Amino acid sequence: MSVTASNAIVPTVFVVDDEEPVGDSIAMLLRTVGLRTKVYQDARAFLQEYQPEMPGCLLLDVRMPKMSGLELQQELINRNVTLPVIFITGHGDVPMAVEAMRAGALDFIQKPFNDDELIRRVQKALEEDARERALLQRTEEIERRWADLTPREREIAQRIAEGHANKRIAADLDISARTVELHRARILQKMGVRAVAQLVRLMVVLKDSPVR
Amino acid sequence: MTNAPTPTVAESRFAALLDAAVDAIILIDSRGRITRFNLAAERMFGYQQAEVLGKNVSVLMPEPYRSQHDGYIGRYASTGERRIIGIGREVVGQRKDGTTFPIDLSVGEFRTTGELLPAGEHGFVGIIRDLTERKAQTREAEALRQRLTHVGRIGTLGEMVSGIAHEVNQPLTAISNYANACRRMVGAGTITGPELSQTLEKISQQAERAGQVIRGLRALVRRRDEVREPLDCNRLIREVTTLVEFELRQAGFRLVLELADPLPDAVGDAVQIQQVVLNLIRNGLDAMQERATGDSIEVATAAADGFVEIRVRDHGPGLSAEASERLFEPFFTTKAQGIGLGLSICKSIMSAHRGQLTAETAPGGGAQFRMRLPMLGNP
Repeated sequence: MSVTASNAIVPTVFVVDDEEPVGDSIAMLLRTVGLRTKVYQDARAFLQEYQPEMPGCLLLDVRMPKMSGLELQQELINRNVTLPVIFITGHGDVPMAVEAMRAGALDFIQKPFNDDELIRRVQKALEEDARERALLQRTEEIERRWADLTPREREIAQRIAEGHANKRIAADLDISARTVELHRARILQKMGVRAVAQLVRLMVVLKDSPVR
Repeated sequence: MTNAPTPTVAESRFAALLDAAVDAIILIDSRGRITRFNLAAERMFGYQQAEVLGKNVSVLMPEPYRSQHDGYIGRYASTGERRIIGIGREVVGQRKDGTTFPIDLSVGEFRTTGELLPAGEHGFVGIIRDLTERKAQTREAEALRQRLTHVGRIGTLGEMVSGIAHEVNQPLTAISNYANACRRMVGAGTITGPELSQTLEKISQQAERAGQVIRGLRALVRRRDEVREPLDCNRLIREVTTLVEFELRQAGFRLVLELADPLPDAVGDAVQIQQVVLNLIRNGLDAMQERATGDSIEVATAAADGFVEIRVRDHGPGLSAEASERLFEPFFTTKAQGIGLGLSICKSIMSAHRGQLTAETAPGGGAQFRMRLPMLGNP
């Protein structure tokens, strides 16, 4: 389909907010700096349309009826979608924002927001997405980073990619959960990714590469 | 005792009897002159018996009763029509120092036969109870009820603060975004007249929306004397639901209004009626968060036999047998964090309106509350 084809080239800011005026006004603001936007009033509508090859970032309202922003984030993680997420939070949503950041959100911004601030963060998220997508194209770079891991780190990275929880990995390797956490942080840092979802995608690239 | 009592013994017994009474007892003759004035009467009116014996009983009354009293006795003598005798009523007394106070007066008529008092006397006996304290208690209870009503309202709003803050934040966010977008586009010369005008219209709508929330909130927070005014219940419901809609939507539920139109005006205090509606909707929401059997809360209005009825129906687990029996008792609650005053305050508000609040299990499950308010012009 031609729409999908153009989506695949031009990065899009996907805005998911259940309140039409909020989503509409964000889109208008972003259009003033030439950004392409698409607004959805609920998480399911976005999930139905979004394909992993569509570049861009996601501006996501943390509170929504039916499927909340946090639930959508979790669903994206389950689907190994690495689109950077910026959470839009309201007054008093700090605990939710903390949870979102833990789960790998790139950023969060509180309503009502300063326009420059919003645009700056959105642009940063788009750059992040572009960088990650570019990295996926550069197999040798991923292999070089992988080679930089210690054998123990590689072992743990495999288990993380298989979806094992910290506790299970700690038990399997007979080390403390805290040690696993430290390893996990080092692995993400060395591989140059934000979250486990991105790590998983890099490892898919590695698996497909003829070198290994 | 073998002998019939002599008049003096009878007299002293009678006096002892009168003086032992807690209520004031005053005897007058058929022309209204005081013939007895017991101890309680002395304490109540501040006169000694000697000061008032033989005086017209009207000295114990303020005007206009004072001048009319002889007429009352005269009318009774000529017509035999009883206005107070054997009935009793609330009237006003006047003390020696001129101050007045509310009294409960009951009057009896007597004709002596010579057994206790010399034969042939005809007169009236008045038994008087001072109502000052009871009146004060009623007033205090009334003031307490009004304070409690206000406190209950503030408490409810306190629980709703984060939802209400969000409700105002949404339009502010949209306004700020639209305004910034316009500023940028005007600066870059990329906005057209129609687009600018359309966006300004959106800004104005959002400002109006924020204003509505604030207006609803201000009305509910304000402490004011209870009033009785004509009420357009449909309008009250629309106003107050803007404050809870967000919370409902957030929980994944809908608010459905089924408002009869036209609906006759009711009589009452708008803010207090909104408070009851708000409480009932929030109770419904709590119940549905515990266990939902549907996804909507319905608020309906109707007119029926002199009343305007407001129904609030939820799709929660419904009312248990214990709950339906004790629902309106103070401090009865089924909520982990409730203090159980909400519904008892609602009930007292509705009684003070000479209305009703009842609860029932709705057909198909869930709870249904009915508020009934007297229609305007229906005493």
